[in-house]
Amino acid sequence: MVSGAVVSGTVADAKVVAGEVLRLDGVRKAYNPGTPQAVEVLHGIDLLLRRGEFCALIGPSGSGKSTLLNLIGLLDRPTAGKLFLQGQETGLLDDAALTRLRGRSIGFVFQNHNLISAFTAAENVMMPLLLDRGWPDAAMRRAAEALLDHVGLLRWKDSMVGNLSGGQQQRVAVARALAMSPVLVLADEPTGNLDTKSADDVFTLLREMNLAGGTTFLIVTHDPRLAARCDRIVEVVDGRIVADAPSGYSAARGGADIRTTG
Amino acid sequence: MNQGLSRWLPFEWIAALRFLREGWMQTIFILAGVAMGVAVIVFMSALLTGIQTNFLHRVLNAQAHIVLQPPDEVARPLWAATGAFADTALQAPAQRLRSVDQWRKIAEQARAMPEIAVVSPLASGAAIAVRGDASRSVTLFGVEPGTYFQIVKLPDNIVAGQIRLNSDDVIIGTDLAQDLGVAVGEKLRVTSGIGTDVILTVTAIFDLGNRSVNERNAYIALRTAQSLLNLPGGVTNLYIAIHDPYAAEILAQTIAGMSGMRADSWIRTNQQFFTAVNAQTLTNTVIRLAVAISVGLGIASVLVVSVVQRSREIGILRAMGARRGQILRVFLIQGGVLGLLGSFIGSALAAGALVGFHAVSRQADGSELFPLILDPLLFLAAAVLAALTGILAAFSPSMRAARMDPVVAIRG
Repeated sequence: MVSGAVVSGTVADAKVVAGEVLRLDGVRKAYNPGTPQAVEVLHGIDLLLRRGEFCALIGPSGSGKSTLLNLIGLLDRPTAGKLFLQGQETGLLDDAALTRLRGRSIGFVFQNHNLISAFTAAENVMMPLLLDRGWPDAAMRRAAEALLDHVGLLRWKDSMVGNLSGGQQQRVAVARALAMSPVLVLADEPTGNLDTKSADDVFTLLREMNLAGGTTFLIVTHDPRLAARCDRIVEVVDGRIVADAPSGYSAARGGADIRTTG
Repeated sequence: MNQGLSRWLPFEWIAALRFLREGWMQTIFILAGVAMGVAVIVFMSALLTGIQTNFLHRVLNAQAHIVLQPPDEVARPLWAATGAFADTALQAPAQRLRSVDQWRKIAEQARAMPEIAVVSPLASGAAIAVRGDASRSVTLFGVEPGTYFQIVKLPDNIVAGQIRLNSDDVIIGTDLAQDLGVAVGEKLRVTSGIGTDVILTVTAIFDLGNRSVNERNAYIALRTAQSLLNLPGGVTNLYIAIHDPYAAEILAQTIAGMSGMRADSWIRTNQQFFTAVNAQTLTNTVIRLAVAISVGLGIASVLVVSVVQRSREIGILRAMGARRGQILRVFLIQGGVLGLLGSFIGSALAAGALVGFHAVSRQADGSELFPLILDPLLFLAAAVLAALTGILAAFSPSMRAARMDPVVAIRG
């Protein structure tokens, strides 16, 4: 069980930690469960992410990082254990409610940016708002322009994303991830395909967004240099969290919530 | 900016149209395929309908829908007092030229029927037309012009002279006029089978587009025919036109049952035509079905490729909150739009081809092969069917897209 101060009871669970954004209690994930080919890749993960944290998720290939990220992103369901997003137990939600919660609460940044090539930069940023429905056109436009301005791409707003550089596309993806003002942004190797300069720019941007909006970031990375720039580093090995500690960068900034699980 | 994205236009429509636009090369090729398919279907349907309509128009304007005539004479066996046949050898009797018994009463009864439009009495029989040294066998049609020409549109086919049928007038066909070397205003002698003859003046020459008719038919006044054929006051046939030509066979049977007469409908006398029409319709249906299936498979194959190509985008859309139903509709709409747009282009192509073909194709007599009927209902049906075909064809790839696991899709 994760540690932390219990402040109040909410939707689905009596014990909600102050500032809690995400909580995993004994989460397990197996593929082909109940069959002879069953393979468990996550073995009882406990994790707590608080509002405003900037956390790195590291581990060797095949350690279960991506599986964990998919569970946290509500793209997949755990085989056992509970996953709470803002105190709400997600295991109780049907697919439609899970999709709605995911769209409104979680932003994604992928290694391959995964922008929709048929749309312009601004339209890509507006896409989550359009999917959410009910947003006035002007509000969608204003939000997209503000975010593109923030990532330094306002002048490219009407460009098709295929005409942008890799670094620019990833910055558009960051802007899109923040369009719904999510409580949690999941970034899977967001700088993995970028040159050093672009990678540094994008990482700096993520950090700025985190500091400016108080959004929680969980960043999967293989780059120890980037991980060291996060507040906290969670290391997964063989489907277990083997280390969860503040990074030197975080300590230098005055520290954050430090816990060790596993 | 971003005029394409609006909350008033559902996401599914925006994404579907953008995907089609982005894959413009695929879109153009499949649109061309759909358009060609629709063009073939529309062209064939319009052409076949036109030709059949034209043929029906010609047939129905050249003959009665129902012809009443006396029943065939039959030989009856002689019965012995014991109930056995006195003589079992029967010889088929020759069919004399006979009048319809009580034809005026039957005609009145027929006219009283609401389905019947016109009843015209006719005295018809064989004769020889002679001019100088030339003679030809002809079939005399003694008619009442007022009613007969409402059934057989002879006045529409007059190529010389004017319609007039007094007691010493005759109207003949172009081929008979040529064979006898006779022109409008000239006289010819007509001798009936029983030996009576009369001198008649040619008042008009017709061309019904049929050589044997143009060679053999000679129209004279009813009374003249009755005199020539020795049928004083009698008629050999009653010609009937009805409001719904396709009800002719049923009505003919009803009238035959009522009157005891032999009643032949145009449907029975043109049985071969209907057999041909049915065969044509069946062939046309098979071809249209095959083309429609080809169109559907074409759309499906393009969308299957599109789903595979866009799996990552589908995954990210799902991650951003797009529901399965929305993804499903994105691809269904693409199928429908391809079908609909293809049908518009195909209908335009078909209309152009019909206009062109109509302009250059002519029957042997120089008249149009088929009437140019650009029926809006045909184009509407083509559009609706093509859109439905597109949606149906898109269903399988759309389901595949909607069921896609976002995790797998994003991973690619």
